[in-house]
Amino acid sequence: MTEETEKAYIHWLCQAAGMGSGSFLRQLEQAGTARDVYDMAKRGILEEKLHIRYKHRAQRLQAAVKDYDVMGKYKDMRDRGICLVTCRETDYPEKLAAVQDAPYALYYAGRLPDHRKRSIALIGARSCSEYGRYMAKEFGAALARAGVQIVSGMARGIDGIGQMAALGAGGYSLGVFGCGVDICYPSGNRELYERLLAEGGVCSEYPPGVGPRAVLFPPRNRIISGLCDGVLVIESKEKSGTLITVDMALEQGREVYALPGRATDALSAGCNRLIRQGAQLVMSPQELLEELLADFNACPDRKVYCQQTLFIPEGVQGELLQLLDFQPKSMETLQEAYVSTYGKSVTVPALCHELLQLCVDGYAGCSNGNYYLIKG
Amino acid sequence: MFSTITSGTVCGIGSHLIQVEVDISKGLPCFQMVGLLSSEVREARERVRVALKNSGISLPPMCINVNLSPADLRKEGTMFDLPVAVGILACLGHLPGESTAGTVLLGELGLSGEIKPVRGILPIVTRAKESGMRRCILPHDNAMEGAVVEGIEIIGVTDVAQTVEYLKGLQSGRKDLIEPAHIDVMSLWKEPDGANALDFADISGQETVKRAAEVAAAGFHHLLMTGPPGSGKTMLAKRIPSILPPLSLQESLEVSTVYSVSGLLHSAQEILVTRRPFLNPHHTITGQALAGGGRVPVPGIISLAHRGILFLDELPEFKRETLDILRQPLEDKVVQIARSSGVYLFPADFMLVGAMNPCPCGYYPDMGKCRCAPYEVRRYLGRISGPILDRIDICVEAAPMKFRDISGRAAGESSARIKERVMGARQMQAQRFAGTQLRFNADMGVAQVEKYCVLGAQEKGYMERMFSAMQLSARGYHRILKVARTIADLEQCGGIRKEHLSEAICYRQMWE
Repeated sequence: MTEETEKAYIHWLCQAAGMGSGSFLRQLEQAGTARDVYDMAKRGILEEKLHIRYKHRAQRLQAAVKDYDVMGKYKDMRDRGICLVTCRETDYPEKLAAVQDAPYALYYAGRLPDHRKRSIALIGARSCSEYGRYMAKEFGAALARAGVQIVSGMARGIDGIGQMAALGAGGYSLGVFGCGVDICYPSGNRELYERLLAEGGVCSEYPPGVGPRAVLFPPRNRIISGLCDGVLVIESKEKSGTLITVDMALEQGREVYALPGRATDALSAGCNRLIRQGAQLVMSPQELLEELLADFNACPDRKVYCQQTLFIPEGVQGELLQLLDFQPKSMETLQEAYVSTYGKSVTVPALCHELLQLCVDGYAGCSNGNYYLIKG
Repeated sequence: MFSTITSGTVCGIGSHLIQVEVDISKGLPCFQMVGLLSSEVREARERVRVALKNSGISLPPMCINVNLSPADLRKEGTMFDLPVAVGILACLGHLPGESTAGTVLLGELGLSGEIKPVRGILPIVTRAKESGMRRCILPHDNAMEGAVVEGIEIIGVTDVAQTVEYLKGLQSGRKDLIEPAHIDVMSLWKEPDGANALDFADISGQETVKRAAEVAAAGFHHLLMTGPPGSGKTMLAKRIPSILPPLSLQESLEVSTVYSVSGLLHSAQEILVTRRPFLNPHHTITGQALAGGGRVPVPGIISLAHRGILFLDELPEFKRETLDILRQPLEDKVVQIARSSGVYLFPADFMLVGAMNPCPCGYYPDMGKCRCAPYEVRRYLGRISGPILDRIDICVEAAPMKFRDISGRAAGESSARIKERVMGARQMQAQRFAGTQLRFNADMGVAQVEKYCVLGAQEKGYMERMFSAMQLSARGYHRILKVARTIADLEQCGGIRKEHLSEAICYRQMWE
């Protein structure tokens, strides 16, 4: 029997057994190949062959035999560019294979990560701040340029932004889904999804066609951390799905890195807590790279984010620039801050003019209408 | 025995004079009224009969026929009671026939014979004057409203007996039985503003929004305020009328006509509408209530807001269909309502002031507090259709209120001072648009923007850089020029300068 035929039967098994059946599938191997299991199920004798505690699962498999075209279904899937790899194969990601409850089989499209290269999971809040957005871009791009593979969940917010930046920098990125790899979720990340298929990869333990459901997402987080050498948390609230990934990473013995934020920022509360609990504090991609890559030369031109801008324009513009921040501030706030900091008043029309000038000159940016922030 | 009395009826905000023809002849006793009458007009029969009896005049057992001509025009309202009664009296010989020549009679009768006020006096009296009538006999409570129209004698009467006395007196040359009503129209504007008037000085902080309101008021631009709950958007909107120039007499007559046909000018204190209207409908309002409607159309909220402010709080909460009704009025400044009886036109030249939260939870872009997904934010904004947003020139974000704002630092600038600047800008516009259909900068179309908002070479270059740096849309470009023109007008500045442009850019729509 060729490898491909056996894979077709494994595909059937994965679909029929349902989610959370990794150990069951491993158990089944004792009964023989997937083909053997299929034959037994078809003859209705699988139930007797297995331990009594697998009775229900065996019955499900026997029921799933009816009207199922094993080879046809598998061929359809392969025609759509989706592959299947089991944990018994050498192609299976090495780092993941070492994890205790690694998925028995992994569906993927595009390329799987190269186990000889370093991988980092870049994760964080879905509704992120301007600061998080900016840092995700910086880290995603810098790490990718240094050859680190970026793994994440392709969620909106930090995940997607970091992955997009990695691809933009010409690097590799892998999206790990909580649904079938043929489903783009969230649909807003369509562009990223297409690019991942072409330039990186997407993978999932769920067979194609499985829709996104809330219960499917926490288990996929163990795959994200399992595929990586470390997990970098960019931004996270006190209670967040991101922290599930961190827990998984710690169980799997992965290093956890976190980007610090202000004490007053709800979106950095999770990160700051992680740091207190012992996560590595990183302030720039270079720091992380030195940590990650043994042969990474200490970077002389390390980017320091808290450095003051070297050239500050004169007059009101310069004064305004000092008041700006990575958190967008409204004109109202800036006007008040200006009055209280410099003891001078500034009229609304003048404020508009100077702020726009800063934007045009590239010092500042504006988001969401009249909210202004520093452009990094 | 036959007599004809002139009366009138309203139709939309226009009016028609109606001939009330009464014939009394021998035959089976009856009292009939014809002429396409609605039920309240037909019920005049009972009111007239009883009112006359209680005024000491009993109807003889004869055949009474009343026709309201033109007979193909639908008659509405209760103003025909008095003319019908007087017509009958004339037929019966209680009154000399010629005494009512050149006179328009309007009024509702009570059973005791008293005469009650009716709606639509202003348009009917105006029409009477235009048709060359000499005199109007109106309910006493409506006399002042009628007296606003100059060049026609207005007689206010309280009951049937008094009316009969007066008409008899006329014939015998005694004109002094009732003094014609007189009113000094200009005195209506001099009413004390009162201490309870809303003033911008009440608001401390929110300088950006206040400035945006000033610019909007100066150019009659529509305004949209975005901000978290409790940032004072409603408080600010309610004060915008206080910085608008006062209504001119012409404008006041337009507005009063709408209020008159809506029956909102009853009170003796309010003879004319002299303040800019401020209408604040709840977001559950129906399209009909907003735009006007009904089998016989009556003006809706947007017509009542004519020459004033229509404030829509929680804009995205309005039903999309309701908001979309505003599209045509925003463009044409009138509402057209078509019925089988004809097309009714109501004026609707209002300044739209909208207020909304930036997202369903209200705290975006404060990501520490906002719990909304980006698509939720987009969808929330998407509830307002593009064509409506296209007409809104000025958008401004209100920041959350701070304790300092609430605890009151220095009081803000007073409405009176802001109003002075606004008046100056209005004058600039009046000079610029003299001899054209335009009144305000906001009225300019693309062609006029190119004609009146000419930029110098330097400003053009600046605009070009801004265009790419701020990712402006072509659609927003003309809006920015229009607003910049108004800002320049506020400074009494002939040409548009860079500062004016940058301020206008700050008022662009945030989703552009």
